[in-house]
Amino acid sequence: MDFSLSDEEKAVRETARTFIRKEVMPLEQEVLRRERAHEPGLRLDELRELQGKARAFGFWGLATPEEYGGMDLPAVMQSLIWTEIGRSWVPFRFGGEADNILFFANEEQKAEFLVPTIEGERISCFAITEPGAGSDAANIRMTARRDGDDWVLDGEKTFITNGNDADFAIVVAVSDRDQDVRAGGSTAFLVDRSMGWRSEFIPTMGEGGPASLVFDSVRVPGRNVLGEVGQGFALGMQWIGKGRYIIPSHAVGVAERALRMAIEHANTRETFGKTLSTNQAIQWMIADSETELEAARWLILRAAWTVDQGTDARHASSMAKLYGARMVNDVVDRVLQIHGGMGYTRELPIERWYRQMRLLRIFEGTDEMQRLIISRDLLRGYTEIGGHLA
Amino acid sequence: MNIVVLVKQVPDSGSERGLAGDNTVERQSANNVINEMDEYAIEEALRIQAAEGGEVTILTMGPERAAESIRKALSMGPDKAVHVIDDALHGSCALSTSKVLAAALGTLNPDLVIAGAESTDGRVQVMPHMIAERLGIAALTGARKLTVDGGTLTIERQTEEGYEVVTAATPAVVSVWDTINEPRYPSFKGIMAAKKKPVQTLALADLGIEAGEVGFAGASSEVVEHAKRPPRQGGQKVADDGNGGAALVEFLSSEKFV
Ligand SMILES: Cc1cc2nc3c(=O)[nH]c(=O)nc-3n(C[C@H](O)[C@H](O)[C@H](O)COP(=O)(O)OP(=O)(O)OC[C@H]3O[C@@H](n4cnc5c(N)ncnc54)[C@H](O)[C@@H]3O)c2cc1C
Ligand SMILES: Cc1cc2nc3c(=O)[nH]c(=O)nc-3n(C[C@H](O)[C@H](O)[C@H](O)COP(=O)(O)OP(=O)(O)OC[C@H]3O[C@@H](n4cnc5c(N)ncnc54)[C@H](O)[C@@H]3O)c2cc1C
Repeated sequence: MDFSLSDEEKAVRETARTFIRKEVMPLEQEVLRRERAHEPGLRLDELRELQGKARAFGFWGLATPEEYGGMDLPAVMQSLIWTEIGRSWVPFRFGGEADNILFFANEEQKAEFLVPTIEGERISCFAITEPGAGSDAANIRMTARRDGDDWVLDGEKTFITNGNDADFAIVVAVSDRDQDVRAGGSTAFLVDRSMGWRSEFIPTMGEGGPASLVFDSVRVPGRNVLGEVGQGFALGMQWIGKGRYIIPSHAVGVAERALRMAIEHANTRETFGKTLSTNQAIQWMIADSETELEAARWLILRAAWTVDQGTDARHASSMAKLYGARMVNDVVDRVLQIHGGMGYTRELPIERWYRQMRLLRIFEGTDEMQRLIISRDLLRGYTEIGGHLA
Repeated sequence: MNIVVLVKQVPDSGSERGLAGDNTVERQSANNVINEMDEYAIEEALRIQAAEGGEVTILTMGPERAAESIRKALSMGPDKAVHVIDDALHGSCALSTSKVLAAALGTLNPDLVIAGAESTDGRVQVMPHMIAERLGIAALTGARKLTVDGGTLTIERQTEEGYEVVTAATPAVVSVWDTINEPRYPSFKGIMAAKKKPVQTLALADLGIEAGEVGFAGASSEVVEHAKRPPRQGGQKVADDGNGGAALVEFLSSEKFV
């Protein structure tokens, strides 16, 4: 068994790491300062400039196919890069990405929505959640009524990431009440903001925040159906599924950085005439954190590797998301505890992580929904205990 | 233009470094990287290649692990590499290192050899001069700028006071400081292509050098002993309680600073 990285994996990671260290990390203090002043930590133009710099050496579109100028990286490499990104709290990500389901667009839609999103000229959001349908996404109520060649959309979406900045939304709505939402009853639409939907920012405990989208008889031309009529829910589940190993990969980077800070603090801060690190209570927090961090790392890399094998990665990805999200919250909590009062201040990024990382247990499938998937797979006999080694 | 860049693998100067039991640089456990200045040398070579055409070759003398740095160097864009590797090289002094590198250069017929001005481990700053001397070609050292005009090379040599303009005809050795350019990141395509680029390995026998001429056996000098630099002594604080100025002058003159 070989747990090492290939030369390419090392080299790609090294380049991402150097870029983050040289170009992104220098902005960290400024991000904290701005956020303390209730400004966005990184402005869109600054993000685009950084992304442009990375594009110059080909770091663009980690998941995007080569024909759209992307890197089309294997999942393991993407995971490694997201971990590097996670090491900095600057809200940076490499450019050239678009929602995975936009690739189901037809040629005209690709030119209108997909390519400009990849190029950073347009901003998308994806909307399935409603006030009455979160975990139970099949319970959506937004209606799409046919009217000649058009569709008319009525209803409300909520907690939509980028909802306030997006100039178009990918919206899943009920298009046929007589059919199951999951099987033929729902459709995904590409809806320009100019077609008439409104958004309202929702303040959250995190920096930035999602928005609610209101559709009040919004008329959408038939050519704006994404994929096939009736395919909405299936596309929605694909959208949610794509992040399952990415989200915890990012969390591994956060946990590594936070733990490093805790070790440094424990080794220097003195109480009762000796450093914190001499206390077993502190040592155990560090030991548990590293152990859980490593467990998460390998669970995640195994999920990514499963994606690269081309086999069904849902089960492995659910375990990675469940455990990785839990792990980073526990590690950050301990790191905050080790820092004492300093950890609670907004001088350090720890309280920020504490707030931001909490989301990981809620969006793109709550902890409970991951458990539902994992247990159902086992109880119904879809999955063998032991995974690919079984 | 046929350009050879000298690239040395060194322990990362950003992390803990030390010497091994035999008083040579500890390379086994260290996190090894390309000598920082050599990345500038590679960048300069690639820029010249872009303007003048020709080929860029990486030349490294070092143990097996140096292959990682060769791949990294190739991922920035050079065409191929030569790796001089031989167990007998361990413990080589600057003189014998230059002998080996010069011999390898002899097989490559470069118009231009570009090196870093110094390595972060040895820091002797002599390799470019020694190699030029052995090859009987000019040494344009310490460049902060390099221009190529046909067969004429012109550098701005960085000095404490300013710079000197120095010219030579090719072939020549140029060494560069980190003021000369901004090295590129290895591109994604470059990383993927690096694996397929040819890396030729040469042993001492291929260069007609006897094992006894290099390594510990052939060393012109020997590191007998080493000690860690003692930690900095806490400075003397001068509190200004009215006669701080006088105390300061007294301190400066007692230390012969004024
Ligand atoms: C910041 C943020 C960004 C978001 N971005 C998007 C986005 O871009 N697009 C989008 O469509 N949605 C988005 N969401 C919505 C997110 O996916 C939902 O919040 C999530 O699916 C949970 O749904 P809910 O909030 O309605 O909670 P509910 O479904 O009401 O669940 C409440 C709690 O009960 C638990 N629970 C529910 N059912 C069960 C059960 N059967 N068994 C056990 N426990 C159960 C849940 O796990 C949860 O802990 C975002 C949410 C947030 C907070
Ligand atoms: C008198 C003396 C005795 C020494 N004795 C020992 C000893 O006993 N044991 C020991 O371990 N070390 C010894 N050293 C140090 C070691 O030999 C040197 O570090 C080595 O020869 C290269 O020198 P440098 O890297 O400091 O060269 P510099 O002149 O500082 O390097 C300038 C440039 O030369 C190029 N270059 C240098 N080395 C290589 C290489 N191997 N491959 C490719 N390009 C290269 C690079 O482009 C580099 O940027 C000794 C040095 C001296 C001067």
